[in-house]
Amino acid sequence: MLLDPRIIIMFGANVLLLYLTLLVNSALSNWLLYLVLLGPMVVLPAIFLRHRSYVLCTLLTGLWVDAALPTSFGLITLGFLAAGAFIFQIRFRFRAEHNYHPILLAHACNFFAIALITIASGVGNLLVSAFWIQVILTSLISHLTLLVVAPWFFNLQRTLFELCHLDTEPEDFPIL
Amino acid sequence: MAQLRLDKLKPIVALGVFLIAWWVVPTFVKSFLKVSFTEFQAPAWIVSSYLDDLEGFWARRSHSKIELIEAGRELAREKAYYQYYAQRNESLEAEVERLESILNLPSRREFRYEVARVVRRDLSAWWQQIIIRKGNDYNIPEGAAVIFSGGVVGRVVEVNAFTSCVELVTSPNFRMAATLEGDGRPVVYQGILQSGFGDPEGTVRDAPQDLVANSQAPLKLVSTQLGGTFPPGLMLGTVAWLEPGSTGIFQAGTVLLDERLLSLNEVAVLIPLNPLEFDTDAP
Repeated sequence: MLLDPRIIIMFGANVLLLYLTLLVNSALSNWLLYLVLLGPMVVLPAIFLRHRSYVLCTLLTGLWVDAALPTSFGLITLGFLAAGAFIFQIRFRFRAEHNYHPILLAHACNFFAIALITIASGVGNLLVSAFWIQVILTSLISHLTLLVVAPWFFNLQRTLFELCHLDTEPEDFPIL
Repeated sequence: MAQLRLDKLKPIVALGVFLIAWWVVPTFVKSFLKVSFTEFQAPAWIVSSYLDDLEGFWARRSHSKIELIEAGRELAREKAYYQYYAQRNESLEAEVERLESILNLPSRREFRYEVARVVRRDLSAWWQQIIIRKGNDYNIPEGAAVIFSGGVVGRVVEVNAFTSCVELVTSPNFRMAATLEGDGRPVVYQGILQSGFGDPEGTVRDAPQDLVANSQAPLKLVSTQLGGTFPPGLMLGTVAWLEPGSTGIFQAGTVLLDERLLSLNEVAVLIPLNPLEFDTDAP
């Protein structure tokens, strides 16, 4: 098949995760708390899919997130493709059938996304202490939330693969 | 072996192709992509906003008749109070117009108020924006002033088909001319990065040296008609402390903003009835 049908499920799950995150952020605005849960979106496509499908899924997800967040358009897409390229290159080393490795990768990607947004927000901001307090607070809350959200998110995707009678294994098995 | 190495390079090649394409592709293509994706997402946000409204409707329906009667009575009292003020306002406006015609003053800008529900709030270290449920469908112009019962909310920065994006007064990208109540001289208000603790804040610059502010009697910072976006007299915040600024000629201080800015549900967009023509109106 030219494209893996699982990209529809992965892209749909990413859209759902972003929508729910932004809904929660809207509700948390009273306390100036904000969640960044972008990390898990790039992990399973990079581990599970063949190259062409992975690029399409990551590109679509990146553009979708770029349109939803007030970042400069293309930034998150670039970040996703960069993080995805890194994971894709060493994906043989990860055990995709359990959540342990994907969760660790999700945390690393999320940290990368926060760093990317922070750097892109401007050099002037980096010298302000209030900005760093807020960024550190956001990072802490996001990664704590990710401990719960990431396993749920990966299990949701796997369940959807099963429900749609699709392959629940990655394209390439890891080297044991 | 060679095949394996090429396979490993594929994602790097894809990343490089994307970077080059993004650099080469004209701006209008990127804008088209952004607008397309944004418009595609808008219905989901509008639906969730309407669902919120429905939830509120059912929550209110669960109130007892006694509660509704009491609320109605309260509303009737408020209505009588505001009717009296509307009459007073009319007579004062007539008086102002009479004086303006005597003094040959230039006409003031008039606005149409478009009330809009807040669909989404994006308040973080990186951005301070809200999305409202009205856009091109209600002729919302870019740059229009946005207010609420507590004063200034911000300015419309992006207009889509059914939604608009509003830059909040707390954002470092937001700057406007203002005056301290009782003093006609203009000062500059600008949003600052929020620490996340305490009420939202901004800064005021270029305040004259003779102004004194203290926490017992804080000065009120209000909008001015300079700039033409906001009508005069809208509350921005309070200034409890002023100190010499970096130039030494003027004073600067922190502006305490309304805490309700962080949990807005409804705002009003001020649409100018006679938009400024920068070619002819500029001095």
